[in-house]
Amino acid sequence: MRNIRIIARLDIKAPNLVKGIQFEGLRKIGDPSKFALKYYLQGADEIFCADIVASLYERNSLLDIINSTTNNVFIPITVGGGIRSIKDVTSALNAGADKVSINTAAIKKPGLITEVAEKFGSQCMVLSIQAKYRNSGWEAYYDNGRESSGIDVIEWAKKGQDLGAGEILLTSVDREGTAKGMDIELIKAVTNVVTIPVIASGGIGNLNDIGLAVQEGCADAVSVAHVLHYEELTVNEIRQYCIEKNIPVRRLSVDGA
Amino acid sequence: MKNKNTLQKYNLPESIEFCKECTISNQRPRITFDENGVCSACNFAKHKQKNIDWKEREKELVLLLDKHRKNDGSYDVIVPVSGGKDGGFVAHMLKYKYGMNPLTVTWAPSIYTEIGRKNLDNFINIGGFDNILGSVNGKTHRKMARNSFLKMGDNFLPFIYGQTNFPLKMAVQHNISLVMYGENGEVEYGGDMTLANSPVKDMSHYNNIFFSDMSPEDWEREGISKSDIAPYLGPTKGEIEENNTEIHFFGYYHFWDPQECFYYCVKNTGFEVNDVRSEGTYSKYASLDDQTDWLHYFLAYIKFGIGRATSDTAHEVRDGKITREEGVMLVKKFDGELTKKYFEITLDYLNVTEEEFWEVVDSWRSPHLWEKDENLEWKLKCPIWIE
Repeated sequence: MRNIRIIARLDIKAPNLVKGIQFEGLRKIGDPSKFALKYYLQGADEIFCADIVASLYERNSLLDIINSTTNNVFIPITVGGGIRSIKDVTSALNAGADKVSINTAAIKKPGLITEVAEKFGSQCMVLSIQAKYRNSGWEAYYDNGRESSGIDVIEWAKKGQDLGAGEILLTSVDREGTAKGMDIELIKAVTNVVTIPVIASGGIGNLNDIGLAVQEGCADAVSVAHVLHYEELTVNEIRQYCIEKNIPVRRLSVDGA
Repeated sequence: MKNKNTLQKYNLPESIEFCKECTISNQRPRITFDENGVCSACNFAKHKQKNIDWKEREKELVLLLDKHRKNDGSYDVIVPVSGGKDGGFVAHMLKYKYGMNPLTVTWAPSIYTEIGRKNLDNFINIGGFDNILGSVNGKTHRKMARNSFLKMGDNFLPFIYGQTNFPLKMAVQHNISLVMYGENGEVEYGGDMTLANSPVKDMSHYNNIFFSDMSPEDWEREGISKSDIAPYLGPTKGEIEENNTEIHFFGYYHFWDPQECFYYCVKNTGFEVNDVRSEGTYSKYASLDDQTDWLHYFLAYIKFGIGRATSDTAHEVRDGKITREEGVMLVKKFDGELTKKYFEITLDYLNVTEEEFWEVVDSWRSPHLWEKDENLEWKLKCPIWIE
């Protein structure tokens, strides 16, 4: 079994790290660079940072965000929010990102997934899916969890993989920011139909939620925000918990990274 | 249909000016701008953020509550709620932090949305509250909504009667001397500033501000019977005085931040956001209850050029949640967006055809705000993004 990755997630509305509940009521949390550094030093395996309102505001603050988060952080960084073209990907990678995450632009133009994967490799192309439960299944959302695309999440995940996505960041809009537990059924439903790694996101309120996402949901990574930002958990506590539960994780040397 | 003279009716300045700090314009009735081009609401927001000693205000609140507190099992404060985040916050704080025994009262919307009704139920069942839901004769309400739309260009007049009068009536009926509202909208969002430093709602302003010069009694001449009008009436002045009724704003006693009310209610009253953003704006956590409320906001967009996205962004800029630049972007993107979801159901409710609907709407477009473009589509002459 591959190591399960613990990813610290930073949603950014430039110049601030923000956090909402179900993507609503974005609260300013602080300076993203300080939080990125803190989570790196706590032993996060990766950092995910996104301009969460890029599509909503039809802007692109990505380079500022990369500059403000990559300093002194020596773990893989995925950036997202407002990536609409190969040119955007190129500048994000040049600025220091290791991977890019795309949601809105991929929904509007699925071929972009293939273009990015062919030019930069699948490992670099993370398909971000905001999944909202409606009626009898999950629908893919965009614009910071505000707009429904009408696309079925399970179908979209399969299609994303076929088009060349190397990884899926799967966020439950219903659970995001609530700290009331993850949507395990959603995670299971997606991990069942794809072979590429799935990062589970949205709803972690305690250590047990992480165990469930990995052991029942078969997630390959967890993305953690609320409990880290509000200092309810540290990355190291999560790692220790995983070790106790026999969940394979990267072993760290004593000095952190 | 004859074009309405909104300049005169609402006393609007002919030349449009936007606040230098938020997204509101001088077309909001009663708002004032200072010599630096900053609106009264922005100045109040700064005052609120800097000059007020909230610990002292809390002491004032406790004194007030102790004066009205009953401790005998009977209700001692009326809190008007919709089931949303703002009333939910006030009611929960009063009951669970300050030990009052609130009776919460709700004036039913014209047509409930699923999420609106669910949030009211959650508020009652998860938040833990007694509630009286005032539902009036739907036939009368519909007739009044139709006529107020046709005559006054606002379908919401009958709702506003109840929203204003029903809590007072419940206070008198239950011998409760304190009514606690959330924020004072005039002060927080721009308007009459005479009560900026007062905790109390001034009763003398009711008719001319909220009722567009047409009070519930006036409906008799529109063919509504006395008995059908009765539910919309407030208590008499004598009854209010005899009950020693006081109406206060919680926003005077506690720093008012709608976003924080949201966090509080998600935690304490089971509040849930909507599935998607509300059409005409970007938010999904405010004003979720009524399938016809979009028209109330849309008509403000027509009359004043101030739609829901303008109002939402203006206060979020003041509250420091977004920048003015972000606000302008959101206004450009969403303000005046026509509903797809509720258009038909609303026209059906008002019993108007699409043609009649647009005839009424267009009669409220003042030439100082609106012009037709080359495709003969209406557009704002002076939108905020091309200042």
